[in-house]
Amino acid sequence: MTVPADPIRPSLVALHPAQSGIIPRGTRVEVFQQIFDVFLVLGTLVGVVVVGYMVYNAYKYRDDGGERPDDAPKVGELPTGGGGGRKLFLSFGLSTIIVVSLILWTYGTLLYVEDEATVEGGDDVQIDVVGYRFGWDFVYPNGHETSTLRVPANETVQLNVTSEDVFHTFGVPELRVKTDAIPGQQTQTWLEAEETGTYRARCFEICGAGHSYMTAEVEVMRPSDYENWYANTSAENSSAVAGPSEIGPRATAGPRASAVSQGVVG
Amino acid sequence: MSHLRLYTGIFAALAAFATAQVFVEQAGGLPYWTAFWVIIALSLVKAVLVAWYFQHLKWEPRSVSATIFTGLLAAIALTAAAAYSIL
Amino acid sequence: MTDETSDPRTDGGERVRESRRGAKRTDGGTAAAGHETDHHHGLPAPSSIKRWLVTTNHKDVGILYTVTALFFLVFGGVLALLMRVQLWTPGATILEPLQYNQAVSAHGLIMIFWFLSPFAFGFANYVVPLQIGAKDLAFPRLNALSYWLYLFSGILFGVSFFQGGTFAGGWTMYAPLNLPVYTPNIGASTAVLALLLFVVSVTVSSVNFLTTMHRMRAEGLTLRRMPLFTWTILLTTWMMLFAFAALLAALMILSADRLIGTQYFAATGHAGSLLWAHLFWFFGHPEVYIVFFPALGVMAECFQTFTGKRIVGRKWFIAAMVLVALQSFLVWMHHMFLTSINLEIKTLFMATTIGISLPFDLMVFALVYTMLKGRVRFTTPFLFSFGALVLFILGGITGVFLGAVVLDYEFRGTYWVVAHFHYVMVGGITALVGGLYYWYPKMTGKMYDKFLGKLHFAMYFVGFNLLYFPMFVAWETPRRDFVYPEIYTTWHQLSTVGAFLLGASFLVMFYNLWVSLSTGEDASDNPWQFSTTTEWAIPSPPPLENFPGKPSFSSGSLEFLPDGSDAGDIEPAGPGGREPAATDGGEATTDGGEAATDGSETDADDGEDDDDGKLVTDGGRVMTDGGQPMTDDEQVVADDGTAGAADANAGVADEKATDGGTVTVYDEHAADDEEHGEDHASIWPFRIGLTSFLFLVGLSGLRQGSFPEGLEGGAYLGLTVVAGVGLLWALVGMGREEFHGLEGPFGESWPFTGINNTKLGVWIFLASDVVLFGAFVGSYAFIRVAEGWQNNWHHLIPADHVVLPGLINTYLLLTSSFTVVLALVACEKRSKWGLIGSLATTLVLGIAFLINKAMEWQHLFHVHSEAFPNGWNIGTNVASSTFYLTTGLHALHVIAGLVITLYLIARAWNGAYLDDDQPVELFGLYWHFVDIVWLFLFPLFYIL
Ligand code: HEM
Ligand SMILES: [Cu+2]
Ligand SMILES: [Cu+2]
Repeated sequence: MTVPADPIRPSLVALHPAQSGIIPRGTRVEVFQQIFDVFLVLGTLVGVVVVGYMVYNAYKYRDDGGERPDDAPKVGELPTGGGGGRKLFLSFGLSTIIVVSLILWTYGTLLYVEDEATVEGGDDVQIDVVGYRFGWDFVYPNGHETSTLRVPANETVQLNVTSEDVFHTFGVPELRVKTDAIPGQQTQTWLEAEETGTYRARCFEICGAGHSYMTAEVEVMRPSDYENWYANTSAENSSAVAGPSEIGPRATAGPRASAVSQGVVG
Repeated sequence: MSHLRLYTGIFAALAAFATAQVFVEQAGGLPYWTAFWVIIALSLVKAVLVAWYFQHLKWEPRSVSATIFTGLLAAIALTAAAAYSIL
Repeated sequence: MTDETSDPRTDGGERVRESRRGAKRTDGGTAAAGHETDHHHGLPAPSSIKRWLVTTNHKDVGILYTVTALFFLVFGGVLALLMRVQLWTPGATILEPLQYNQAVSAHGLIMIFWFLSPFAFGFANYVVPLQIGAKDLAFPRLNALSYWLYLFSGILFGVSFFQGGTFAGGWTMYAPLNLPVYTPNIGASTAVLALLLFVVSVTVSSVNFLTTMHRMRAEGLTLRRMPLFTWTILLTTWMMLFAFAALLAALMILSADRLIGTQYFAATGHAGSLLWAHLFWFFGHPEVYIVFFPALGVMAECFQTFTGKRIVGRKWFIAAMVLVALQSFLVWMHHMFLTSINLEIKTLFMATTIGISLPFDLMVFALVYTMLKGRVRFTTPFLFSFGALVLFILGGITGVFLGAVVLDYEFRGTYWVVAHFHYVMVGGITALVGGLYYWYPKMTGKMYDKFLGKLHFAMYFVGFNLLYFPMFVAWETPRRDFVYPEIYTTWHQLSTVGAFLLGASFLVMFYNLWVSLSTGEDASDNPWQFSTTTEWAIPSPPPLENFPGKPSFSSGSLEFLPDGSDAGDIEPAGPGGREPAATDGGEATTDGGEAATDGSETDADDGEDDDDGKLVTDGGRVMTDGGQPMTDDEQVVADDGTAGAADANAGVADEKATDGGTVTVYDEHAADDEEHGEDHASIWPFRIGLTSFLFLVGLSGLRQGSFPEGLEGGAYLGLTVVAGVGLLWALVGMGREEFHGLEGPFGESWPFTGINNTKLGVWIFLASDVVLFGAFVGSYAFIRVAEGWQNNWHHLIPADHVVLPGLINTYLLLTSSFTVVLALVACEKRSKWGLIGSLATTLVLGIAFLINKAMEWQHLFHVHSEAFPNGWNIGTNVASSTFYLTTGLHALHVIAGLVITLYLIARAWNGAYLDDDQPVELFGLYWHFVDIVWLFLFPLFYIL
């Protein structure tokens, strides 16, 4: 995936001038992919080197049945340590440097995705997401409720997520957005989709019989289409099955219709 | 047994502190959070007195006190960090 | 073995033989001649079933743990296979959705609680006393009790399947899904109660192991010199002590919510859901190290034994583990990065999480470097240990991914997490399986079939990676979900194949270990060439009394001294002591001192070594007992978090052991009299286990404080009552039983010299109780912060809730504490009536406390105000719930204390305690603790 320059958030570049360039920015999809790739490469490298070294040495120093060395451990001796401390500390130091710098690097991005300006930006689209067993309601600022999340492409969309019954986790894997839906609590997150199309949101925390089917459609529309659609909505013509005001567990235990089709991720 | 007077004195102090706690609240002179910490501090002092003398921690190896203190620290870490996390 | 003379046991054995008196030896593990049983205070032969019901010997209990744990491995494994079958294609419903959720949840709970930890504790039971040179654990009967509570808690969990289905909310049991509104089956309650019972078992066990390991090490075996496996168990039990206390609080609250209708986790509350997450993960993260540390210990032992090298950087290895154990309590919110916790706290916990991964790097490198210049022998235990390290490395690397919060945001709730923790946890299991092969010859006296052992490893390792690696590739599969993106189908099918291969590999193991029991070669004392720890210096299996004398390291290496001897009298036993203790640690910067062995030319000898048969295996070792007359060791019976004291502890003899040094001055007591030997049998632990099981089955029927109508409800109620009485009977029975455990003086007791076992046990138990109440108070504070500490909170409480009853109760309790102090003073003055008078006053004050509380509660239940038209009951709101439950738990502690007081009064009436006031003192510790708790509850619930 190519990483386009970020046209939307000049303010953020100003906020972290020293880090610009190194710290991944952009949509969540972009930052995740960049960081994941780096971790994957380094992780694989470290894994291969360490495991390879282990296997190599285990083979190299395999027992040849020779004489028992004089200083070999004996039953009844008090445990002591062997030599090799310098090597130990060198490798330890190296691994520390790798791990700590990796994490510091990602921390820059964490600050970016959690930035107040990003999370609670002024004129972004704001949508309340309410999880219930077993589905999602999306509530727009004008009071319109639907069971399909419609958002404009290439715009930051703010989500306010909660649950009206048990603990759920709202996530749209393809858009790399995820946050817990906790009864009595609000969590904030944002998403930005670059391509129009249909995506699938789903639940990521076990919540009962319908957990595997607790999905919702996410429709990313062209901004103009979105404006049109939104202009025609109101609290009255809501399409959601039930509003978040309904308290208590719902009877819907079985799979919902939307669950039958399989969303293909990726 | 020579400690008997000491024990009696401590008992009197404990009762007095308990009374003081109620008094601090009822008198209402202090701002809430000042009163809060005063009251908690009084509880702490009482607890330490009981543990130190009645439970003989004063005369046990320090490691025993350390063990109890570790448990206390764990509980405080849980309480403080959890409460702070939702502020 | 070329250098016989350097083996300390040659020497030690000789010495012992010279001083042999009336050799008395029984075979602890296999056959014991019938007539010998009476020498051992009623312990029947191993072939009889009764033996296994009454035994309190640590080796027997170890075997019981191991076998039971393996049973639960099969149980959890079958559930896992069911899930894997379901996942063959996306969205299959071989199991109904709810059944699938039950399988997921039960699998996790069983594997983590009823298999993994107990499996490790099978070895801990068997091996730790041997490694530290103790004849048994400090409290053998409590050890048996731990086992029976463990077994019966597992059976209770099994029962839950038949009560409308077991718990279906995941092993993390998130709230409020864990409440009856959402998981209404009775079985779900039973599962929670089963876990509660398990936690009680763990707590008893922790107290026991900590006391043992701290107080009962052989002379010269200072903490720094302790074998690494024992080190890992020591740290594990410390973590268990505190972590499981938090879980106990969580489970008690959950049980109260489920059974009597408190409102902590209800969805209507503001923060109940988060509160559970905090409590659970505060326990949960230490728990992952609790299950992993013993595995690390096995790896450390096996790496040393099978490379013929001492571990690199031993001192740092230990330091790293200590650091991890401490820090494990400060990382829990990395499981909550997606919740509503604030950014500052996320940052903090990201830092601690990454911090805690670093010591692990050091440990891994230490193990890897230990192989260098060694003589690596690919025996079955080594293969498993080596494999475990590889798996752990992969698991650790993927853990670092999770520690990066931005990545965790996406990984949370997916198979990435599933794959990560299976690599680390099942990686740990891998090492423990290695441990089973390592210690099997010791535990059974037989060698397993080596080829089948290696076959097992090959199948296991391939199966493992086939099962779990595809989960990394298919990581976008949602967790605990059987509908997944179709493109991952192939990967999931590979996984399923791997799962069956892994399962099948265990069939090979069971077959091998079972058949070898009868047909295996006899194992020598030390079947592994370069092992060092004490268990390899004694027969396989060890005799009941473990050692042919008093183990001591004061000369620098292991010797068995004739009993009753003073270490100072005996000259060091030859070259075995030539490793000076000062070489401890890896700070040495060169490794050039090793004897260079060129292993690369010839083929490695791939066989398991069995060359140590030349060691002394003289059957006629002297078995003498530890010295002084024994006294009852049992003081604390942890029962649902309350201490029920038991019988007279007739004072543990005063010790004059020096701190951390090597010389222990011995009282030259007649050590030859068999009447003074330890007891090894008691049926009461079994009875307590059984009755608590039945009691909890009965209790599971409870809902909203009452049993359902009709026959079923009646059955539950009846069972509760009958079993409750039975439980009380069993507790009292155990308290009254004469049982002689081990008595000091022991060798090394740092840092707890100068306090005897029983008192230390009580203190350690109280430390866990501190965490229990701490977690209750923490929950209260958390909920109150979430609701709004001052204003909103006061609306939840009726005006009738006033300070006065609390203040009166404070005075009552403080006075009762003072009278307990007076009771002890009376003992010192040998004043029988002073003692009885003080205790009776305590009793009266305690009862007054309860009556006052009852009146207060009655009043509050029936308030009639505008805000509370129906009274202020347990379930009225979170404020009432926290108030009643927290002070109620305290009241239960008071009641338990009063029962003990009654018992003490009865005994005092008959003249007890004037010569030995320890029981009164111990009761005092408990009672003052209850007092202290109230000192905090009073301001929190009445004033502020
Ligand atoms: C190398 C250092 C490690 C790091 C940095 C690490 C980090 C993490 C993180 C951040 C999570 C939370 C994932 C999520 O749910 O979003 C996690 C989950 C988990 N880790 Fe680790 N971990 C490490 C080692 C271990 C070890 C040694 C064990 C156990 C032997 C372990 C067992 C687990 C378990 C059981 C879970 C999942 C709990 C659950 O959600 O059910 N981890 N780890
Ligand atoms: Cu769900
Ligand atoms: Cu963790």
